[in-house]
Amino acid sequence: MSDSSGTLNVGIDLGTSHCAVSASNGQRHVIESYVGWPVDMVARKVLKKDVLVGTEAVESRTMLDLHRPLERGLVKEGSDKDLNAVQVLLRTLLDLAGVDRGDKKNKTIVRAVVGVPAEAMRVNKQQLRTTLDGEVDALMIVSEPFAVAYGLDALLHSMVVDIGAGTTDFCVMRGRFPTEDDQRTLNNAGDSVDEMLLKQIGEKYPEAQISIFMAREWKEKHGFVGKPQQRIKVTAPIKGTPTTLDITDEMRTACESIVGPITETMLDLLPRVAPEFQEKVRNNIILSGGSSQIAGLRAALEEGLKPVGGGSIRGVKNPVFEGSDGGLALALDAPDSDWDKLG
Amino acid sequence: MSQTPSLKRQLLRQAVADNVSTLKGELPPQPSRTAASPKRQAPWRLMSLAALTILAAGILLMLRQTPSAQANPSPVPGTNALPTAAAMKSANERRFVTAPQPIDSDVFPLEVKRIVVDPGHGGDDFGTADNDLVEKDLTLDIALRLAKLLRSDGYEVLLTREDDRKLSLRERAGIANGQHSDLFISIHVNWMSTRQARGVETYFLGTTEDPALKELTRRENRESGYSLADMKYLLEGIYTGVRRDASRQFADRVQRSLFGSLKRVNPSLKNRGVKTAPFVVLVSTEMPAILAEVSCLSNREEARLLARPLYRDGIAEALARGIRGYADDVHQTEEKGS
Repeated sequence: MSDSSGTLNVGIDLGTSHCAVSASNGQRHVIESYVGWPVDMVARKVLKKDVLVGTEAVESRTMLDLHRPLERGLVKEGSDKDLNAVQVLLRTLLDLAGVDRGDKKNKTIVRAVVGVPAEAMRVNKQQLRTTLDGEVDALMIVSEPFAVAYGLDALLHSMVVDIGAGTTDFCVMRGRFPTEDDQRTLNNAGDSVDEMLLKQIGEKYPEAQISIFMAREWKEKHGFVGKPQQRIKVTAPIKGTPTTLDITDEMRTACESIVGPITETMLDLLPRVAPEFQEKVRNNIILSGGSSQIAGLRAALEEGLKPVGGGSIRGVKNPVFEGSDGGLALALDAPDSDWDKLG
Repeated sequence: MSQTPSLKRQLLRQAVADNVSTLKGELPPQPSRTAASPKRQAPWRLMSLAALTILAAGILLMLRQTPSAQANPSPVPGTNALPTAAAMKSANERRFVTAPQPIDSDVFPLEVKRIVVDPGHGGDDFGTADNDLVEKDLTLDIALRLAKLLRSDGYEVLLTREDDRKLSLRERAGIANGQHSDLFISIHVNWMSTRQARGVETYFLGTTEDPALKELTRRENRESGYSLADMKYLLEGIYTGVRRDASRQFADRVQRSLFGSLKRVNPSLKNRGVKTAPFVVLVSTEMPAILAEVSCLSNREEARLLARPLYRDGIAEALARGIRGYADDVHQTEEKGS
């Protein structure tokens, strides 16, 4: 289903944890960034599919060769299966957006803007381009926080802090296409919180059987920084018996582990802004990305700005789609002559 | 907060240009960098050359000062011992009304056009090795990748070697000096006695009291023919001002880029920082010069990464970014001054 011109513009956020697509025909979808192939004939017979994507793949993970092909927001290196998985993810997103691959007569021209981590190297972008070759008709790759800023019209005197699963990306917008000096990427993000939470709980309850999936789910449900509002109690098996675990302190420690690095990076970027505009930027910081939803995080980061005169941080309406919406805005604004260069 | 459509158009144009560059295999364009006209460059270049010539002449005069003319104890006749630092200071004070002070490098802006890339070791000088991974091969591979990137960005690039051959440190510096290059970068791969140690570090010329660095310097300076004491004297007596500041800035840029870029694919990478050491190849070169230890072959994980072409490509790209960043800094200084 394309628009009347036979062209479908899409913005795509290829995230480590979730992939989102916003399309010019109004479709918006998000999937978990997992792809799995049945491990054997039995599994294929049970699952009745050759490949499973997203939540369906996670739920059937015991029968699958499960891949999370994006690592820190980029295609994992060295595995054909991971490359293949990225292609599967993209095809799934395009299918959800309404691209009909079977219709050879009325072929839809697909133009995609894909967001990647702020400091992605040229080789990474080339690799992504190669991986997605043939899947779309024209491709533009931009930094994820730039796409967010573009979508929000926050192009001047602002800073976007995009906290994803694999990376936290920073971009200072000063009315120009961001250069290396305007951007930073940290590996302290949602995944690092999950890993720390898993480790912390493991130290407190050495006999508890916990997986990274459980830790991630608990964080998404109960994650917080600052003073706890209530005790966090979850259930996990200990020697096969479901047991209640109090993970309040561990959750706080894990979630607060990203506050310091993010604050430091903001404080590192701010002095690079012209002095007369630093206050404006401090008061126009935008927090986006799935992991920005941790309760109390915004206030904790504002607290960190107090030594330099304080600042104002605002969240976005929809952290999940802000990147793909920004990508779509770029795709729609780009004239045909520009798309011709990117085919 | 609505932005003007023209700003959006401008940003979009730059985003497309960035993508086109990637498609062509070039480094992305930097908006801050604009080509300086030859007309504007010429006076600066001439002034810089004149200033450096005067500095060099002063240094030569100081070096030729006869020991007997000095108030300080003379070296034993018949030896080639160099005058002490104190003697040098005394001569210095007489020749100039006041002793020379470090010079602000900003007054000597230099446009970067020609870059010499020096792959460390070669021939029967293998450098370090871990099984089949040999430093001389790795440095050549990275240097060739770097040269390609820099050339695509419009720089003139010279390699001290393009194949597996042995070159003395003096020959390497001679190539850079003979070609009047603007920057010199020597690429090496580190080896640490502690297997767990890893990271990247970048050197510019200076002294060191660190025993580990002295050992590294001894290893890298094997073919030089100078002693560390000679080198320390040369550094303290001669090496002040413009080139040192420029080399430090150059090293800062490259180190920041190396660590920032490689940390993404090598999360445990350690930033070992910018350091000074008297590597002969840095002493003998006449332009801003650095030596980059781009990885640590003694570390198992880094050795595994170094075996991957994509990682070596990443190293080359990080080096290119650092070089380009430094070139942009220099260019901006020039623009401010003009």
